[in-house]
Formats: sequence, structure tokens, C-alpha cells
Amino acid sequence: MELGRKIAQALEAATFERVAGVGLANAEVNRPRIARSVLELAETPLGTGDTAIVVGAGPSLRRRRSLERLRASGFAGAIVAADGALGACLRAGVVPHVVVSVDPHPERIVRWFGNPALTVAPADDYFRRQEMDPVHREDELSANRALVELVDAYGPKIKVAAATSAAPAVVERCEQARMELYWWNPMYDDYDRPESLSRRLWNMNGLPCLNGGGNVGTAAWVVTHAVLGRKRIGLVGIDLGYAPGTPYEQTQYYPELVALLGDRYREAFIHTENPVTREVWFSDPAYHWFRDVFLEMAREADCETFNCTEGGLLEGPGITTVPLDAFLESTVAAGRKERTNG
Amino acid sequence: MPEFLKGNYKLAASIEDKADAADSTDEFEKKALSRLGGSICFVSKKGLIWQGEAQPAGGAAAAGEATARTASRATPENGDKDKAGGAGTKDSPGA
Repeated sequence: MELGRKIAQALEAATFERVAGVGLANAEVNRPRIARSVLELAETPLGTGDTAIVVGAGPSLRRRRSLERLRASGFAGAIVAADGALGACLRAGVVPHVVVSVDPHPERIVRWFGNPALTVAPADDYFRRQEMDPVHREDELSANRALVELVDAYGPKIKVAAATSAAPAVVERCEQARMELYWWNPMYDDYDRPESLSRRLWNMNGLPCLNGGGNVGTAAWVVTHAVLGRKRIGLVGIDLGYAPGTPYEQTQYYPELVALLGDRYREAFIHTENPVTREVWFSDPAYHWFRDVFLEMAREADCETFNCTEGGLLEGPGITTVPLDAFLESTVAAGRKERTNG
Repeated sequence: MPEFLKGNYKLAASIEDKADAADSTDEFEKKALSRLGGSICFVSKKGLIWQGEAQPAGGAAAAGEATARTASRATPENGDKDKAGGAGTKDSPGA
């Protein structure tokens, strides 16, 4: 078996090791700020119909100008974005109904909301290196300032589906921008086990536990279906892979792979041809695991999931691949028919 | 291992305890792998949502015991649902 796939098989347990401790600690810190369950979002008007778009921060978002096309379409369904895609959405003129945030990292994630406290470029090179939002690569401080202004302006129109694991700095920033927070617990382990952390959390705060799928984009899809009850879900920017030509140095886990594998780090990347575009995208073990998990969840879900990314690596049973414009046109047409019949 | 190496002489080579070495290798791999993990867990063979002991019929998005418990524990800060309209686009905020 390829090295990358072998490592991917270990990532369910590895993710628990990575996030459980800090996630639970954040749940304790966030506890006094928890006012609403995410289930209340199900009773809140968020767009019309049973269709939604989930926006991830993958490179296809820019390559395919997905957000600009979404905006131009007049799409009236719910728009749910991963936190990493919030900046791209607002810059494109799309204000998501809901933003999902899960990552417990104490400093990085607040940047996706614009960090008003950032005055000098940080030593952490994550935003200069990451491939998700290149705007932050070019001029970190200017990009951050512009995002602060956008989030301050549109924050009151955006609801945040916040995992209790979310970094307190993110929670503070959302409150400052007058974004309403709706809370849920990440499912950490099998709640049927008496010593389960998920069960312990539920006992502590009574919030539902959502199976997060490894990353915030997948968690956004889970919120859209399992909480908002949407039955037709289109995906944009959920690539679960790196675009052709992306330098390995700009991939999410490059430093970690080098630390683990040394000179052999290249062997951890898995290259796959997209069957529609015929482009060769690639994943690292984490993205490969995210993809496997998404496919497993989508197969079992009682909804239709449409991959409208026009790129990426999310292909398989349970996923229907369709161009974004076709998905949007069918949704607009269905809405028109519904209004006529109604 | 060390008890078999006791004697009235000194060894020129240092003896490595392989069990300890294996443990530390495992520990290193575990730590290194954990840095490759995701930002949120996935629990295989479980559903998308668990709402506590008394799962309400209707599943997704249904209000149930857990919701009621949460609502009863929570103190809405400014929970005027009508106030916060939907989003959409900048030109046409709200749904």
C-alpha cells in the first residue's frame, strides 16, 4: 500500500489525539457563553426551499469563480460556509447565512474572521504558506484589516454554528462582530461507551453532538443536512485535494510530513485524475482521509449531495458530480415551479 | 535485561533496552501522526448527529429532549430570531 494511504488509515485515532484534549478544555472555557443550541437554527428562516450550498475554502473556489457565479445566479437557498471561506464569500458579495467553526487552534482560526488585534505579521507562517486563501499570502496585514471591516459590516447578518471546541478567541471575535452563535458538540468518540467523552460533554451542556468528518468543510455539510434538514446540497470549494501545480511546501501538512518522514515526505502525496476535468489533483494523507470519510457519510445520508466544485477529488458513490451552473439553474427552476404551483 | 548483565567487569558497549526503544518509537510515531490529524473528530459507524439519550423521532433538525434541556439551561442574550434576517447576497440580504 502507498505510504500516504497507509498513514491515512491511522488518522481517525490521530485526530482524536490531536483535538480531544484542547477541544474539551475549550468547551469548559466557552461554557458561560453558550446561549443557544444549533438545533434552534432548524427553526430559523435561512433561505428558501430544501436546497443549500456549502462553501469550502478549496482552490476550485477561485479557479472556477464559484462564488461570483453563485451571486449572479440569484440562488435563494441556504448558504453555509466553512470559516476559512468566509473572507472569500464576503469579498465576492456573498453573505452566508451560517458560518461553521470547529478548529480549537488558539491563534490561527480567528484570522478567518479578521483579527482586530493583529498589528504585526506573526512569526507563525501558516497564513503566508497556506493555499486556501492566497489573499493572506500576499499582504497579511492589509488582508486582515480588510477582512475585519467586512466581518464587522456583515457580522450581524451571519449566524455562527460554533463547535464547543472552537477557540475562545474566535468566540470573542464573533461576539464583537455581533454574530449570533449557535452551539454544538463535536462527536469525539462512540457515545454508547459509558466512559465516552461525547457522552460526558452532552451531560455537561446538553448540546447535540455532530459527527464532524475530520474538517470544517465536512462539518458544514453535516450541519446543513443533519441540523438544517436540507435535502439537496451543492458543494463548492470542497475539493479535499490540492490543485495541479501546487508546491508541496504550500500544502497544509508539509512541515508535519517532513518532520515525520524526512526526505521521504513526497511519498505521502497521492495523485489522482479528476474524471471530469482530467486534471491530476493530489492529496496528502489528511485530505485523503477527509475524502474517504465524506464518501462514507454521504453514502449513508438521507440527502442528495452534488459536487459542483468542477475540480478536486471528491468523487464516488453518494456524490453526484454536476457543473455549478446546472445545479443553480435546476434550483432556480424548481423554486419558480413551486411558487407557480403554490 | 539489566539483571542478566550484572558482573564484575565493565562493558565497553552500552546495551540498549529494546523494549524501551520500541515504546519511545511508538510514542514518537503517535505524536507525529497526531500532528497530521484533522481539526475535528470523525467517529465511524455512527450517525451524523446524537441528541442524547432520548433520541426524538424525525431525526435531523427535530427538537427533542436535548434541545429542551439546552434551551432550559441557556439564557438567550439577544435571542430575537426575527431581528436577524437571513443572509443571501449583499444586494439582496435575507431570503
